[in-house]
Amino acid sequence: MTDVAPLLADEQAPLEGVIKGEVLRMYQEVAEYPEREFHFYHGRQAAEMFGYEPEWLDRAPPGAVASFAGVGNPHLRSRLQAGEVVLDLGSGAGLDSIIAGWQVGPTGRVIGVDLNPTMCRKAEAHAAASGMRMACHEGRMEDIPLPDVSVDVVISNGVINLSFRKRTVIRELFRVLKPGGRLSITDIVSAKQLSQSIVNDPKLWAS
Amino acid sequence: MFGLLEGAGFTQVRSTVVPGFGFRKESTRDAAEAYGVKAVLFTAQKPAT
Repeated sequence: MTDVAPLLADEQAPLEGVIKGEVLRMYQEVAEYPEREFHFYHGRQAAEMFGYEPEWLDRAPPGAVASFAGVGNPHLRSRLQAGEVVLDLGSGAGLDSIIAGWQVGPTGRVIGVDLNPTMCRKAEAHAAASGMRMACHEGRMEDIPLPDVSVDVVISNGVINLSFRKRTVIRELFRVLKPGGRLSITDIVSAKQLSQSIVNDPKLWAS
Repeated sequence: MFGLLEGAGFTQVRSTVVPGFGFRKESTRDAAEAYGVKAVLFTAQKPAT
């Protein structure tokens, strides 16, 4: 999706608040009621579609797998190494953080950031149940609650498209990465400018 | 997104379309198709110096 914020930030500020609320509501619903149907595929079915290894999905806590709502597989190109510090932007129920944690091992660290504090606690619980420690910070991707040059790798899965201020989000990723650090993110893009009716529809934007 | 990454200073920006991505509901799927909506895997690096 294109970055509409520079032209319309003032006009769209109220809408941005509505969309933030809808994003919180929708992804919390995925976490609490994973048996429901949504616009998008989710859970194990989606993870398998994107090439997550069955061994990962068998080993991870069922709740983390069932609530998976990504749009691809950032692990395919993340090349994580033992000891690295990883930021999982929009960590949700924690499946990607857990997989990253297995790859960086006990000498590494995974930090989640999520808009929803309930999801943060859920992700931490899922991580603990899978034998790893993960710290999740409630925060906005446009203002990541981490110091400059503090992470080696950023992973993210279907999150940045939810922001009205994508340019700001990307600048934040650059800020928190160490020199030589890298990112591996999957996200949704559109070839055409979305119509105003879609931009103005919180449910469509959030999905 | 590609342009945003390069504009922020990232190098070695690469993108690959995610195979298999789609929407479950037909109405959303049709709208997504009309707008050329895809899921993409992006990788990039922050310069070492």
